[in-house]
Amino acid sequence: MTVSDNPGGERLAPGDRSGALPAVLDLAVQYNFIVIFFFVAAIATMLSSNFLTFGNISNLFQQAAVVGIVAVGMTFVILTANIDLSVGSVAAFSGMLVAVLLAEGRNPALAVATTLVVGVAGGALMGGITAFARVPSFIVTLAGLVSIRGVTYLISEGTPIGNLPKEFGSLGSMLIPILPGFDFPLMGIIFIAVCVIAGVVLRYTVFGEYVFATGGNIEAARLSGLPTRLMTMGVFAVSGLMASLGGVMLTSRLRIGQPTAAQGMELDAIAAVVLGGTSLFGGRGGVLGTFFAVMLLQVLRNIFNLLGLGSFYQMTVTGVIIVAAILLNRLIDHRMGRE
Amino acid sequence: MADILTVKNVAKRFPPNIVALEQASLSVVSGEVHCLLGANGAGKSTLLKIVSGAFKPTSGEILIDGEPIRLRSPHEGARAGISMIYQELDLVPQLTVEQNLYLGHPPARFGIIDRKTRREGAAEALRRVGASFAPDVRVEKLSIANQQLAAIARSLTMKAKVIIMDEPSAALNERELERVFEVIRELVRQGVAIVYVSHRLNEIQEIGDRVTVLRGGRTIGTFDVARTPENALVEAVIGQNRSLIERGPRRAVAGGVALEVKSMKGLHGLEISDFKVRWGEIVGLSGLNGSGRTTFLRSLFGAASFEGAILLDGRDFHPRHPGDAIRRGVGLAPESRKTEGLILDAAIYRNAALPALRHRRLLSHRAMRESAEPVLKDLSTQYGDSERPVRQLSGGNQQKVVLAKWIIGGSRVLLLDEPSRGLDVGAKSDLYALVRRLADEGAAVIVASSELEELYAACDAIWVFHEGRNIQRFDPSATDRDDILKASILGVRAST
Repeated sequence: MTVSDNPGGERLAPGDRSGALPAVLDLAVQYNFIVIFFFVAAIATMLSSNFLTFGNISNLFQQAAVVGIVAVGMTFVILTANIDLSVGSVAAFSGMLVAVLLAEGRNPALAVATTLVVGVAGGALMGGITAFARVPSFIVTLAGLVSIRGVTYLISEGTPIGNLPKEFGSLGSMLIPILPGFDFPLMGIIFIAVCVIAGVVLRYTVFGEYVFATGGNIEAARLSGLPTRLMTMGVFAVSGLMASLGGVMLTSRLRIGQPTAAQGMELDAIAAVVLGGTSLFGGRGGVLGTFFAVMLLQVLRNIFNLLGLGSFYQMTVTGVIIVAAILLNRLIDHRMGRE
Repeated sequence: MADILTVKNVAKRFPPNIVALEQASLSVVSGEVHCLLGANGAGKSTLLKIVSGAFKPTSGEILIDGEPIRLRSPHEGARAGISMIYQELDLVPQLTVEQNLYLGHPPARFGIIDRKTRREGAAEALRRVGASFAPDVRVEKLSIANQQLAAIARSLTMKAKVIIMDEPSAALNERELERVFEVIRELVRQGVAIVYVSHRLNEIQEIGDRVTVLRGGRTIGTFDVARTPENALVEAVIGQNRSLIERGPRRAVAGGVALEVKSMKGLHGLEISDFKVRWGEIVGLSGLNGSGRTTFLRSLFGAASFEGAILLDGRDFHPRHPGDAIRRGVGLAPESRKTEGLILDAAIYRNAALPALRHRRLLSHRAMRESAEPVLKDLSTQYGDSERPVRQLSGGNQQKVVLAKWIIGGSRVLLLDEPSRGLDVGAKSDLYALVRRLADEGAAVIVASSELEELYAACDAIWVFHEGRNIQRFDPSATDRDDILKASILGVRAST
């Protein structure tokens, strides 16, 4: 078989060939989720004069924070071509655990810290089973989804736990004046901080580089000496931590630990990650996309609420938008010659 | 006798400029075992895929029973009476034997499977191949040899006139192979034609009636097996083209022993003893597919488990993970650079710098680029912008990125598994010039290749591997290349 290269040995990707395409448009294609976000936000502004107000934007962040933080953890997992179906149950369990500890009169900081450690351990356990017993993460975390929810009912005896201390409740309700006359919710700030930290970890640490490498080609990563199994464990630990933090914040906001909380949250988180351009096949994507996708979904919900349309419309349109965004990404992938 | 299958001057080109098959012809008569022989890259598999309908030829024609036919899919090929049995046996392991036998053409009426007819047909086909297992066992429970028989029976249920078998011996032991041969002889008596692909001469001599030799995408000729001496066949496979295999001048290797494998027992029956590489030396591994070259290199790299005693730089060496080997300065360029060597969608510099990150926690993309780019340039990699995904590079440049990974990581023992696969002649000589330079700078290099020409031109020593053992070491500057090739093909020690 004879293979001849072009002179110079270089092959231009279809995307590079179109020199006429302005750099701005190139960026717009690469970060299409941001464009879509602002497009939807513009529509929202036109539809309702209430949309672009400080109060409404604060609300958006307050409501997006829990699922947003969970989705950031999910981004790590999906970047390694795994999936974590247990996050909703882990969030509910953590929210319940922190409520139980507080009801026993423990120090709030200690209760939160204990809960987060338990979340990390649970995630690492599921990741460890996935990595070392070579069971697909879909199965391991599906089992986690069921039994962790069961444990949540067990520790709460199936009933909500209320009467939580005031200082704990402030985590979910405190407003921080960041500009004169503009109070921003603490939860929103935590969400943004988590996104920034996750972005830095993915971009500027060896752990982050290994996440991309493991997801991009696990065999090549292993043959480059990477501890691929520990990486799998690590991303599930991150996801466990994020789900746990989300659950604690949810309990704080509601001032009550609910065993039925966060049902189906795993699907919202996965939808956001995928909508944000992270590939389910691993190795491609990032937290920036997840952030904008979470906010996009929240804006959609917001529009429907402002227009007084019920949740049936919301569900229908949300699904359609996810599929449309994925098809758009496939098209871009195809044009970039990544098939 | 009239031809059952005729292939006339078939060519296959892949745009823009890959010629997989230049001009191949073949004529098969019913009731014969027609062997197909050729070195790696001679075009055997392309020809088979055209004959079975998986590829459409660029030019030339195929006749079945004297009638020209255009096959658009393997399904059409099967309906025309040509059945292909792939080396990896495309049976569905979870289904039963009879389900597999009629997969794609079940006896059915109005979409309802006629189970009785299927059972009877399957039993009949199994009887013809002399199978001792029942039609209702699951294929996954069968041994490889029995799976081979099931695959042949499947061809019979399709009423195949020509059954093509692609290296059936690769996964079988001698006794199992003998059984397959008996079945082949029986089928031939019943009038079926067999096209038997192999590069093991002794098998061809045992089972074949005629043999067609391919070389460089062309049919060299068809020979009567019984009346053609072995040497003539080897000559036809190798050809007279000696111009490519001029050895460059090599200075004598002066370094001490870098790696010494005293004994090693590994996967797939690997058994190596007394294998040495010195600093500055290039040692080639030659042998047929499945001779253990890849397993040996993967074992040395800690990617396959083994038992044995190895010294690296005078100290014990027993890697359990690639990480162990990398710490001791061993790097592997794996056989398949796309699925094992590179992360195709990741940027060039990130691929190149990956193994070198293991001592660090924080990452500076600028530092990664600054460590990667001089090495890539030094290896004369044509890459444009190192931010681009490595997928966009040509094969030769991708291979240089793989080499750069280990050079940046500080490896001094380089294991290269089929480094030139898929490269054109220019890129190959470029690559080997680079390997020679790395050796001159003191690296110990082991190169496995199925292309003896390359090893002959580039190496200081060549070990011939056969069925998992290193059977003989040659000094290419003092040995005729054909002696090495014969040892590889026949698996016997040549007298030196």
